[in-house]
Amino acid sequence: MSTTAALIALACGAIGTYFARSGLILLLADRALPASFERALQNVGPAVLAALTINLAVGSDGLGGVELAEVAALVVAGAVAIWRKNLMWTFVAGMATLWILSAVT
Amino acid sequence: MTKTSSTATTRGIVDRQALTDIVPLAIPAIPFGFVVGLAVTESAMPQWVAWLTAPLIFAGAAQLAMITLAGTASLWAVITAVLVINTRHVMYSAALAPTFRRQPRWMRWIGPFFMVDQTFALAALQTHRSPADFRRYYLTVALTLYAIWNIVVPLGMLVGPVVPDSWRLDFAPPVMFAGLTLFAIKRIPAATAAVVGGFVSLATVDLRDRLGIVIGAIAGVAAGAIAEQIIERRAPRSTSTVSDEPEP
Repeated sequence: MSTTAALIALACGAIGTYFARSGLILLLADRALPASFERALQNVGPAVLAALTINLAVGSDGLGGVELAEVAALVVAGAVAIWRKNLMWTFVAGMATLWILSAVT
Repeated sequence: MTKTSSTATTRGIVDRQALTDIVPLAIPAIPFGFVVGLAVTESAMPQWVAWLTAPLIFAGAAQLAMITLAGTASLWAVITAVLVINTRHVMYSAALAPTFRRQPRWMRWIGPFFMVDQTFALAALQTHRSPADFRRYYLTVALTLYAIWNIVVPLGMLVGPVVPDSWRLDFAPPVMFAGLTLFAIKRIPAATAAVVGGFVSLATVDLRDRLGIVIGAIAGVAAGAIAEQIIERRAPRSTSTVSDEPEP
């Protein structure tokens, strides 16, 4: 890839990413949204995060590449997240489950 | 981390809770940053341009896509991949727009630049704070992550993969995001959104460029809105509130 092409990709990526992040914040800044729309926006976070979790967990190998230990790690992490409401515990419990089950199986 | 203390706010005060909250999220970002750094050294892009994706794009998955696709995909395919991967940020922007409305103009322009998954996930749980408190929290998280990212990517370029594959740190991000998803669920429509978002994302996982994330998210938001309407129809009007409860 030539330097010019790389710089074009970099510029488009940087500008596009910035406006993806800022666009609605800047557009909606001085306007009040309908209450129903604001309520709907509260569901955006859970929907995106759940989709992200699954997409990252399955990864690039597809469904066939998912291991039992990975599924168990997510289940344990979810249970600990609900129970402890603490990210560090969630991380430790999920990864420990993954390591132990990966070692056993 | 001390670097942020002078720049996080005009009063030079770092939000301690933000620093605590960020630790578990920053840990998985470190090996990811190393991976991005290593990919830079193997990229068909000039190395200095590939490195600039860290300070200028500041989005791990999109950077990795750009750096690795360069040379094997057309210029427009590379750009499209980056933008599609980052489409989810539009939804972050929409979700935090009501909170940012109460922020000064400079914050509305500068704040979103740093809105990575982790920043959104943590900030979305702090929208009940006063504007000044929210700003301090957001900027502490944002600038700390930015500093860490811009240290580990160059380190990855120098050191390469120092973490053995057997540590499985590649699986740390989904573990973290699973926890964050559950923290973000406070009402039934949000739970509906998460369940549908997760399942649709699973059904579309084979699509290229992580398109499944966007499709799953859109389906989840739509399902949440439907659930919202059903609940509203059943419940007496007086019980529906706009503001969120501070506790789950």
